[in-house]
Amino acid sequence: MSITAETAKAHAHDPAVLCCRAEAGITIEPANLEDPAIFDDLVDSGLLNLDGCLTIEEVLGAKLTKTCDSLAPLTADVLDGAKAPSAPVAAAEEEVAEAAPVAAPVAPAAPVAGGMLKIHIGEGKDIDLEIPVGALGGGAAVAPVPAAAAAAVDAAAPAAVGEEKIVGTLTRKHFNITEVKRGPETKIEGTTLYIREGIEADVIADQELVKDFKLEIITPELYHTYSETVMDVQPIATKEGDDELGSGVTRVLDGVVMMLTGVDEGGVQIGEFGSSEGYLDENIMWGRPGCPDKGEIFIKGNIVIQEKTNMERRGPMAAHTAFDIITQEIREVMKKLDESLVVDTQELKSIRRPGKKKVVIVKEIMGQGAMHDNFILPVEPVGILGARANVDLGNVPVCVSPLEVLDGCIHALTCIGPASKEMSRHYWREPLVLEALHDEEVDLCGVVFVGSPQINAEKFYVSRRVGHTVEMMDADGAFVTTEGFGNNHIDFASHIEQIGMRGVPTVGMSYCAVQGALVVGNKYMQYMVDNNKSEAGIENEILGNNTLCQEDAIRALAMLKAAMAGEDVKAAEKKWNPNVKSTNVELIEGACGTKIDLVGNEQELPMSEKRRLKYS
Amino acid sequence: MGNVQMLLRQHVGAPCAAIVKAGDEVKKGTLIATPTGLGANIFSSVYGKVAEVTDDRIIIEPSEEQPDEFVPIDVPEDASKLDMVKAAGVVGLGGAGFPTGIKLNINLAETPMGELDPEINPELPADFKLDCEKGYILINAAECEPGLEHNIKQIEEQCDKVIRGVKYCMEITNADKAIFAIKKKNQKAIKTLQKALEGESAISMHLLPDIYPMGEERAVVRECLGVNLTTMQLPSAAKSVVVNLETAAKVAEAIDEKKPCITKNLTVRGKLNGGNGAHVFMDVPVGTSVGELIERAGGIDGKYGEIVMGGAFTGKSTDFDAPITKTTGGILVTVEFPDLHGANVGLLVCACGGNEERMREICEKMNGKVVSVARCKQAIENKPGAPLKCLRPGNCPGQVKNNMQFKKDKCEYIIIGNCSDCSNTVMASGPKMGLKVFHQTDHVMRSVGHALYRTLKVSKQVSQDIDF
Repeated sequence: MSITAETAKAHAHDPAVLCCRAEAGITIEPANLEDPAIFDDLVDSGLLNLDGCLTIEEVLGAKLTKTCDSLAPLTADVLDGAKAPSAPVAAAEEEVAEAAPVAAPVAPAAPVAGGMLKIHIGEGKDIDLEIPVGALGGGAAVAPVPAAAAAAVDAAAPAAVGEEKIVGTLTRKHFNITEVKRGPETKIEGTTLYIREGIEADVIADQELVKDFKLEIITPELYHTYSETVMDVQPIATKEGDDELGSGVTRVLDGVVMMLTGVDEGGVQIGEFGSSEGYLDENIMWGRPGCPDKGEIFIKGNIVIQEKTNMERRGPMAAHTAFDIITQEIREVMKKLDESLVVDTQELKSIRRPGKKKVVIVKEIMGQGAMHDNFILPVEPVGILGARANVDLGNVPVCVSPLEVLDGCIHALTCIGPASKEMSRHYWREPLVLEALHDEEVDLCGVVFVGSPQINAEKFYVSRRVGHTVEMMDADGAFVTTEGFGNNHIDFASHIEQIGMRGVPTVGMSYCAVQGALVVGNKYMQYMVDNNKSEAGIENEILGNNTLCQEDAIRALAMLKAAMAGEDVKAAEKKWNPNVKSTNVELIEGACGTKIDLVGNEQELPMSEKRRLKYS
Repeated sequence: MGNVQMLLRQHVGAPCAAIVKAGDEVKKGTLIATPTGLGANIFSSVYGKVAEVTDDRIIIEPSEEQPDEFVPIDVPEDASKLDMVKAAGVVGLGGAGFPTGIKLNINLAETPMGELDPEINPELPADFKLDCEKGYILINAAECEPGLEHNIKQIEEQCDKVIRGVKYCMEITNADKAIFAIKKKNQKAIKTLQKALEGESAISMHLLPDIYPMGEERAVVRECLGVNLTTMQLPSAAKSVVVNLETAAKVAEAIDEKKPCITKNLTVRGKLNGGNGAHVFMDVPVGTSVGELIERAGGIDGKYGEIVMGGAFTGKSTDFDAPITKTTGGILVTVEFPDLHGANVGLLVCACGGNEERMREICEKMNGKVVSVARCKQAIENKPGAPLKCLRPGNCPGQVKNNMQFKKDKCEYIIIGNCSDCSNTVMASGPKMGLKVFHQTDHVMRSVGHALYRTLKVSKQVSQDIDF
């Protein structure tokens, strides 16, 4: 498509190709030129050969001496009056990289970490970024200077830095469970949790749509058990006394999680775009924020709901509501546990850092209906009672504190692909919230949840609300994360646009890679972090595989700091390239002097029959 | 002669309200319906008796005898020329149907030049000025829809009347200049005009290349004056009023003869007995049925694809019983459609051709399955649901991205409705990408013996010399 003067300027050093037939004698203007964004595809398919092609800045204003057809590359022999090329932007970036060590007095002789920080992003398709590492603290190899860009900015404006302010605390008291048994009543004795025999009948009776329910205790020896698709993984936690979610004391059981699995009466898995049914040990990515950790006991409830309600709103809702009967019974028992059983106490603080760059995390959660919904702010951590369904709230942005997130304010009915969906436990251990909260260089002001509605008009309705919400926060930077891929990328892109157009640099985080390549894009999507972990870059139905992990949070924070410091990012490689992520991780490690532990992927798991047939 | 059906909606604006009832006797020129908002008077085009008045039409049973005399328009002795045009129910006969009495109600001498968008006028100098004192009447004689010939024939045969009408339009609007925009290929008409315009220093000609679209209102302005208007701007932004030549002739009739607008010139053509040459019918009573006109032209030759009312690009499918209106310019009988056997089809919708609904209809008639719809980047919807308008008519913005979409959506065929230049661009990448390209006008072009719209082989520039 023809380009505007603005686009021509942005692509001054890209090849100049006619978008349409142009007759001899015309003066080349932006409207005659094709958008360079699509050249890679054209070159790949053999439609375009850019040999000898001049750049856009060279051809603008030149006279065409020969009538040329659409997609003709403009070469010197068909132009009169082409300009000489200017120095490419890359040279300027190198200057910055070299200048940085000089400005770092702690390590005058330090080797230049140098080169480029490559970051993988996607806009319409995958994009890779190159950021001059100089800006990220060139001398860090000797002195582990905390990552960089924000520090540099702070130095430039030191007056504004204030005291840290603790705005809230949340205490987690941990109780250890080593054994789960059935018994005449639900109780905890020492480290043994007993679940009342016959509780299944209560679950079935609770909801009309629940037609059958079975409870299994899955110990590590039983991991190789066949299961229907995993709908959710939840921590078992309860508030003490009248404490409100996100503050006071929360009691939580270690070593055990609730796991909801299910089908409808016709045997259809309660999922969309893939499901994780199969042997548990072949289909769960251990240790992901939303998943069980290896060694934990699962209290696994398999629910059967009325036929064909799996894709209706009431089906998954009934399943989650009924399953919470068991969790609630355990919570009641936990409330009475003796303090002597506490094995660990953890205090989470919500810290504001006035004067530091203010950042906000916008988490897009599913709101299309059916299982694509979330209960927001229940009374109990990941409970049901008191929560409002995201869809009922109209998917509009809801602001919560970081501690509310970590205290289970989202009861997730989850979303599309098993590999990228964020289950309830994910929020309980949300890595980006944790990293940003603990990062002394940024001031995390809060978390905004926004639903992803089904209809485009509604998507833009909510994204405009997000834009205004962030605007009134006076944030310096923002993260926008999403789960799933495809349809929800429309609003994901729109959120970034709405925030970006207000001058707030925004890092987007999503699973993209191969299968989840973005379907839409805009000029504000410059800073993107891909959550992919899978070997082939696909949704391979391994639970939690491609969800946001600590390593992604670290990369996103580094990128946002660079963006807030006004660093340019270079345009991307065309196809997904996993090496970009590893190069970036190495460069961050080099710059910050810390080691980033990367998580594994499905290659560590025994190969399931389904994975062998479908994905290898 | 069969029943005559006068549609109550014949023009831009609200439908008219009937002022006659069943059983009323009417003559040629009897006022039978009046505007309820923006609109124009509607007169009976025949002598006869009103058979029925329905929600959308007045049906008249014509008498055996149809004398030439008509009831003159009912205006006071001292009525202004503009009032006569209004009273006669003249509308834009080129197809748009905008009431001419409203269009001409402008004083060009006091109309300021509009603000020109520099983005689409990169070559205009900052101190650009039009070459006129007061303003222009631009006469659209492009006859741009391929296969139609009644406009050019009218120049050849009724040149004086057309020029008279143009002068009236100039007088009414205070224009000091007029320019005929006519395709250079119409050599005989140009010679006729050249002769008639000798001594008319205020009226000139601008010669157009033979590409589509040249008759689009803003294309006429651009070609004649070098000014690109946005899709929201009217020609008045360039101190101009664009009138179709047939409309100009109707203006002359309204003023000189007090004749109401009751007839239409049109071209009937296509798969007809006796060959595919043009049958031009002048002064056909409005309300005559399509079927009657096809019979007058010799009748359909065997099997056919569809009947198009209007031109190949902007017309719509019709049937035998449908009546012609004040804006009907063509009746085209087409060859049969090819059968795509349910193959995946992509539609490239633009402002120059049919709307999406029309493109889907053609796809269905070709037995294709629409799996992808793209819109030309320059097709602008001024407000939701409004007809598309092209930002730069006849100058392509590039189409390869749309082709990439079609490829991605697994289209085997694409149907395009684009102008000459855009069709050329589609062809530069489509076939190489493995897309088989149809143009929405293909079946009509085959039927009238016109080249298909694919690659562009002629220049978009023609010399203004009358060198033939």
